[in-house]
Amino acid sequence: MEPVLSVRGLTVTFGSFTAVEDVSFDIHAGQTLAVVGESGSGKSVTALSIMRLVELGTRGKIERGEILFRAPDGEMIDLVQQPEGEMRAIRGNQISMIFQEPLTSLNPVYSVGDQVAEAVILHQGLDKEAANERVLEMFRLVRIPEAEKRMVQFPHEMSGGMRQRVMIAMALSCDPKVLIADEPTTALDVTIQAQILGLMRDLREQTGAAVLIITHDMGVVAEVADDVVVMNRANVVERGPVTQIFEAATEPYTRALLASVPRLGSMAGRDEPAPFDLVEYQP
Amino acid sequence: MTVPVTPVSPEQGDLGPPGRQALRLFIRNKAAVFGLILLVAIVFMTLFGSFFYDQDPSRIIARPLQGPGEGDAPAFGTDYLGRDVLAGVVNGGSTSLTVALVAVLLVAVIGVSIGAVSGYYGGWIDVALMRVTEMFQVLPALLFAMVIVALFEPSTRSVSVAIGLASWPQTARLTRAEFLRLKNLEFVKAARASGASDFRIIWGVIFPNALPPLIVSITLIMGAAILFESGLAFLGLGDPNSQSWGLMIGLSRQTFLNGWWTVTFPGMAIFATVLSFSLIGDGLQDAFNPKLRGR
Repeated sequence: MEPVLSVRGLTVTFGSFTAVEDVSFDIHAGQTLAVVGESGSGKSVTALSIMRLVELGTRGKIERGEILFRAPDGEMIDLVQQPEGEMRAIRGNQISMIFQEPLTSLNPVYSVGDQVAEAVILHQGLDKEAANERVLEMFRLVRIPEAEKRMVQFPHEMSGGMRQRVMIAMALSCDPKVLIADEPTTALDVTIQAQILGLMRDLREQTGAAVLIITHDMGVVAEVADDVVVMNRANVVERGPVTQIFEAATEPYTRALLASVPRLGSMAGRDEPAPFDLVEYQP
Repeated sequence: MTVPVTPVSPEQGDLGPPGRQALRLFIRNKAAVFGLILLVAIVFMTLFGSFFYDQDPSRIIARPLQGPGEGDAPAFGTDYLGRDVLAGVVNGGSTSLTVALVAVLLVAVIGVSIGAVSGYYGGWIDVALMRVTEMFQVLPALLFAMVIVALFEPSTRSVSVAIGLASWPQTARLTRAEFLRLKNLEFVKAARASGASDFRIIWGVIFPNALPPLIVSITLIMGAAILFESGLAFLGLGDPNSQSWGLMIGLSRQTFLNGWWTVTFPGMAIFATVLSFSLIGDGLQDAFNPKLRGR
């Protein structure tokens, strides 16, 4: 099966610092790929590179590599070569993104309904009324209760979980082929986290979108991912289906990452927590 | 049995969207409301005063330099040519307010555009625009405005443009600072990731969030522009064919020791107008940023 998105040999630099080095992976429609790694491993930069947002406002530069995206007409286009105008038509429309901080990802001066409608009007050319219909539909899809009432509310009147649902509704409002979620549940508490992850899984099945989820949380990976890419210090350490990673990880770094998840009862017979053994990663 | 209920003060309750909350805080500020009433009264006097006091301010109606209540003098007395001071005060506001309004519009358009572009794009664009801004800022404002007015005919238009050109740097710097603060926030990134263009992000996403401090600043600049216009008119650089409070004071400067009323009444009109803008500006500041109150 042809992948929807194929990243090949991606290298991103910030000045003399290499944030992402020779990273490759494929994402297929209806599948979830998790990119896992610690802070600073280059996973967010990879995501921003796919959106071609890494060059804006920073000194980031896509040095080498291809980001091949299958356009709706079936042709594979290299996003790295697309001009900014073409990218604007793709962003939010065919590839969309949700961010880590649902509390600050919404503009405080507009109602949430207007913000979602704006994206629909921009990309689908609907009029205001049709856009509002679509927003209502999306709010129901992401299971926001009393959607009509919620549409006219402002971000500060909503809880974090509700705001993240709004963000997901906005990201999915234009039926994207690829949804990138950068730590979508990190800022939420565990119960809401489970709800949002469950919602994302259901929506992936309903819409058939490919999902790229970025996280440092192995629990999230186990919950949603089909395939896993483990990153450390700008490089891919290990990749494979989620079962293989969890059951038979070959790299010491991956095993250490898995071991870092706290387990109930793991302190039995010990007086106090002890530091982990350091894993030196040699590329 | 009654259940004790902790009263929720309006500050703690949910006040709705930020704009409505600011409006409520503004209305509760007595000084600001007084300023607003004062301003409405002045604007009303300027627009409709001549219906109630139908006197030509440029006509000689009595002996010169008669104080209020002396002989056949009108309520505010007569100036050195025997013209009615009250008629001058009633009609003089239109020039001052028109000039200030046009100047402030110019300040808003130039200042906000330059500040927004500078803060949003950064880099060499920012450096270039800020050097231009600083160039205007180091010019002595009054001198600069006098040169512009003197170069062209002194008219309402040239005075407005001169004041506007001399006053925009402050607004540009404030707008730039707000854009620098706002442009890295998550919701701006989110807007970019949803495919919004630079133009849309600047004006549709960031600008509405930068508005509160700008509104305050523009209100205060309005007051300053009225003073500025009066200053220019006092120095004889106003439109000689129009009636203006500053011009009245300027023309009477030779004779005011013999007739305090010739400068006091137009002076009070200027004072009241500038005061009203200051009070409104302070009120808006408190309303938009309640944390600063009491400082």
